[in-house]
Amino acid sequence: MALLVLTSIILVTLDLQGSSATKSLRSIFGTVFRPIESVARVVTRPATNAWYGITHYNDVTAENELLREKIAQQEGAAVAAAASVRLSQELLALNGLPTLAGINSVSAQVIGDSPSNFVQSVEIDQGTESGIKVGMPVLNAAGLVGKITQVFSNRAVVMLITDPQYALSVKIINAPKTLATTVTTVPNQDPASTVTIVSVPETIDPLITVPTVPATSNIAGFTPGSIVAPRTPIISSSLTIPPGSNVSVRETGILEGRGAGRVPTVRFVDAAQRFGVVQPGSPIVTAGGSLSLAPPDIVVGTVSRVKERLGTAGPLLEIDIVADLSNLSFVRILLYQPITERTAP
Amino acid sequence: MSERLLRLMASRWTRLVLVSLILLGLQTTLLNDMRPFNVMIPVMLLFAVTAGTLYGSEIGAISGLIIGVMYDCVLSTPLGLASLVFGAAAYAAGLLPFFVREPTWWTRAITIGIVGAAGELAFPLAQSMVGFSGRFQPHVAVVVVFVIVAGMIVAPLLLPVCRWTLKESLVG
Repeated sequence: MALLVLTSIILVTLDLQGSSATKSLRSIFGTVFRPIESVARVVTRPATNAWYGITHYNDVTAENELLREKIAQQEGAAVAAAASVRLSQELLALNGLPTLAGINSVSAQVIGDSPSNFVQSVEIDQGTESGIKVGMPVLNAAGLVGKITQVFSNRAVVMLITDPQYALSVKIINAPKTLATTVTTVPNQDPASTVTIVSVPETIDPLITVPTVPATSNIAGFTPGSIVAPRTPIISSSLTIPPGSNVSVRETGILEGRGAGRVPTVRFVDAAQRFGVVQPGSPIVTAGGSLSLAPPDIVVGTVSRVKERLGTAGPLLEIDIVADLSNLSFVRILLYQPITERTAP
Repeated sequence: MSERLLRLMASRWTRLVLVSLILLGLQTTLLNDMRPFNVMIPVMLLFAVTAGTLYGSEIGAISGLIIGVMYDCVLSTPLGLASLVFGAAAYAAGLLPFFVREPTWWTRAITIGIVGAAGELAFPLAQSMVGFSGRFQPHVAVVVVFVIVAGMIVAPLLLPVCRWTLKESLVG
């Protein structure tokens, strides 16, 4: 028993120190085990399919119907969104800001899940030969999936964003429920005065009438009305001002996975006055920054629930991830290695 | 030379590695896909525990170590963690004769279920000890209950396989 404990502790210590011996052992074992796993997959596929047929048939049928409807709805929206994305990228490029379009990527196929009840990870069929390194963000067509935690020559392990070890700086884009302020100037009955109508956020009385009065003077010797400002042509005009309070505001927080069957949360959100109350449905994107694990503006999910907390803790946000992590087939690895994940050569 | 190679090939440890490779193949494919109540049957751990119940603490601990290292190689947790947990669980299962004078197949099945669940519970604990925190969640309770039941069901299949695998000599 003592020998067992000693051996295990030595192995754990070596692996945690990043020993090349343990890496080689894993790599060799992977090479030997991969064909056995492939054969096992082929042999057990009928049983697996039967299992899915029994347990998921109704869900799949219902999901299929729903997806068809969603595709029909989103086809039009996708065209408009693509145009907006292109415009946004052009603007970012014009201002010298980093965009996802400027980062090379590698596509990979998911070849296996983690065979454990406690680790949330998947294995992909690309590795160092494709330029993949530890720490690189992994996406699918919907959004962020996780990050690379282990790399071998032609395979890699991806830690999913639901894993309790995963933490990432994100932005919450909150859109307060207010209307744009519009200032309209219209002619009044009195040609020397005007009426200004200001429409403001719906929380305030939408119509405030401010009648202007003719300019007068109380200085002795002057006849009131004699210095009425010269008439100028009064033109009806409408000007929409985009006030700061109505523009989508952003606040950062830390996204953390919470394990199988539990949605990730975002903590450390500053409850700033301008940011307002976070609305369920607000999008969550990666924050970016020099120390972040991912480049900015990768879609992560939407806020599903807001848990208010006392004091300065700020709200706790539960997140609906846009990527379906239970059904990953193909993923894209951004060839972007965060500074924090780089190791000395 | 050839005789030594033959002896090595016929040794119980070689058989253990080969059988464990097949079980690991099942673990990473079929059992990984079939997850009732979102819990996977930890057949590798149950096999190590079975070795302990059949052949005692010492053989169990060595078997657990070997099976654990193989399992570690396909996990992203530190190498040696599963071997420690599997070895300890198999060692504990080997203490069965101290409590039951002549273990029957069903006392062994109950032991496999209970010790297997304890081992599965010890795995996130061991991860927490090396800095992988956050694995202890309410889901652990479901995992433990499921592994007890699954262990008892799978045990009658694992017992003869393990008995053959770790038999000292295949002849006689």
